[in-house]
Amino acid sequence: MEDTKYNNSLIRMWRVWRTTKEMMNERGYLVVEDDMTISLEDFARRYAREDGEPDRSRLNFSCQPSEEMLVKYTPAPTKKDPNPQPAIGTIWVEFNSDENVGLKQLRDYMGHLLNGSFYSGIMVTVKPMTGMAIRLLRGATGMSDGPKGGVEVFVEQDLLVNITKHELVPKHVLLSAREKAQLLERYRLKETQLPRIQSTDPVAKFLGLRRGAVVKIIRKSETAGRYASYRWVI
Amino acid sequence: MQPKSILKKTTVPTNGAPGTKPVNQRHLHVALHHANLIEQRKRVEAEVLDSIMTLMDYPTAPDADPKRPTPADAQFFRDAIIPFQPSDYDALIEERNIADKCGYALCPRPKKKARSTAKKQFIDTEYGVEIVDKKVLEVWCSDDCAKRALYVKVQLDEEPAWMRQGGHGDKLELMVDNAADLHKTLPLRLKKEAAVEKSKDDEDDIEDAWAARDDAMQDLAVERGEKPDQVSKANNELVRDQITERTPSDVPPQPPTLPSQSLEHTMAIEGHVPRHDRRAEEDEEEDDLQDWEKHLPG
Repeated sequence: MEDTKYNNSLIRMWRVWRTTKEMMNERGYLVVEDDMTISLEDFARRYAREDGEPDRSRLNFSCQPSEEMLVKYTPAPTKKDPNPQPAIGTIWVEFNSDENVGLKQLRDYMGHLLNGSFYSGIMVTVKPMTGMAIRLLRGATGMSDGPKGGVEVFVEQDLLVNITKHELVPKHVLLSAREKAQLLERYRLKETQLPRIQSTDPVAKFLGLRRGAVVKIIRKSETAGRYASYRWVI
Repeated sequence: MQPKSILKKTTVPTNGAPGTKPVNQRHLHVALHHANLIEQRKRVEAEVLDSIMTLMDYPTAPDADPKRPTPADAQFFRDAIIPFQPSDYDALIEERNIADKCGYALCPRPKKKARSTAKKQFIDTEYGVEIVDKKVLEVWCSDDCAKRALYVKVQLDEEPAWMRQGGHGDKLELMVDNAADLHKTLPLRLKKEAAVEKSKDDEDDIEDAWAARDDAMQDLAVERGEKPDQVSKANNELVRDQITERTPSDVPPQPPTLPSQSLEHTMAIEGHVPRHDRRAEEDEEEDDLQDWEKHLPG
């Protein structure tokens, strides 16, 4: 069997890394096609240590947003700010190898993001963080000492499979500020009148949806073929 | 000519317009009250988080002794953990362990290493050999630190700090060997001792105080319109200090008798006895049955 050649943890890491690359691609970052479809052999050649364990420190990578994504994340121009800057930038993805992740690791990571002037960051941990670290993370989005775009934390277990590829998960498409305004005008709605989706929803977390954004959900329908609904992220 | 609308003119303001007066002042107050509560809670949580982040790197000196902490460290530690719940204190210990330090915040040493890297370990206790998690073993640097840290934990208030009322739970004690040094630096303790000394000096003045009180009472009595030799209205002589024994009688106590028409009273509904002829009703029912049969077809 081919699988027996490789360590179990290496196979796990391979799947996590591929899903992470797919996630970045779905969010709209520029990702090399080969990275998303990397074979286990290639992965093992590039990232395995001598003892067959994955070398997590070599897995870290950064991503640039695509043109399309920049447009999507640009807020609508206002009188005060006629030329708004896109609220997105380079992202740094780090695979933490520590058994337990607490405040110390999270603070180090935030410091690293600031030093490297990254806009936002994603940390992938082996095990769930401590409660206090989660509390710090929750308060960090509006904090002055964190990166502008905030920090997201995923557990490796959650990234073993790409949940958006499951047949029961409909397609979620983020609307840009202009599309959102058009939608609200067309249906004569206020955004509070839309159905909602929590930002802690698995798909919302996967796509990194932020509070206040509107996402279009396209489902299959037996009668209509396709059915689109819109949800407001809270 | 302009077309005229036949619809009623609405005077109801569109909802959500800022600056308009709220429909009900009470609603505004309720909303504000709850918003303030949440705000206070968030503030306390942030405070706890800040304290934990600072205490993670404690003590300030790398060669500090947990048995004899410096007064400044001890004072800060005691102040910082007042808003803590026991679970927050556990979180602090956990964070310190992740940073590879002893769980007691005043101890600079690294935590103890278990004998092997196995997940479960054997330890000898007075009840025999026990199997425990490796994590449990690697919390403190020594049993002494564990004792000192847990001594603080049991004093913490279970109630979250934003729910606490009054000033209780702000007197935490540390288990230290140089207690005398620490007390001198604490202004709170000093004040109390001073107060005790003062009361001793006051003992001579107590008699004067009683005399002054009697004078004041007399003045009050005159104010109430009492004459000097009358029994005072605010007299405590009305209460006699003689105890009169109540002699029990040999006659057995009589059970209360029911009123004459007992049946009616059991029928009473809140004192009202409904007048109802039961028999008449039963007859009617029989009639009804027959009526029903008459209506049957065929």
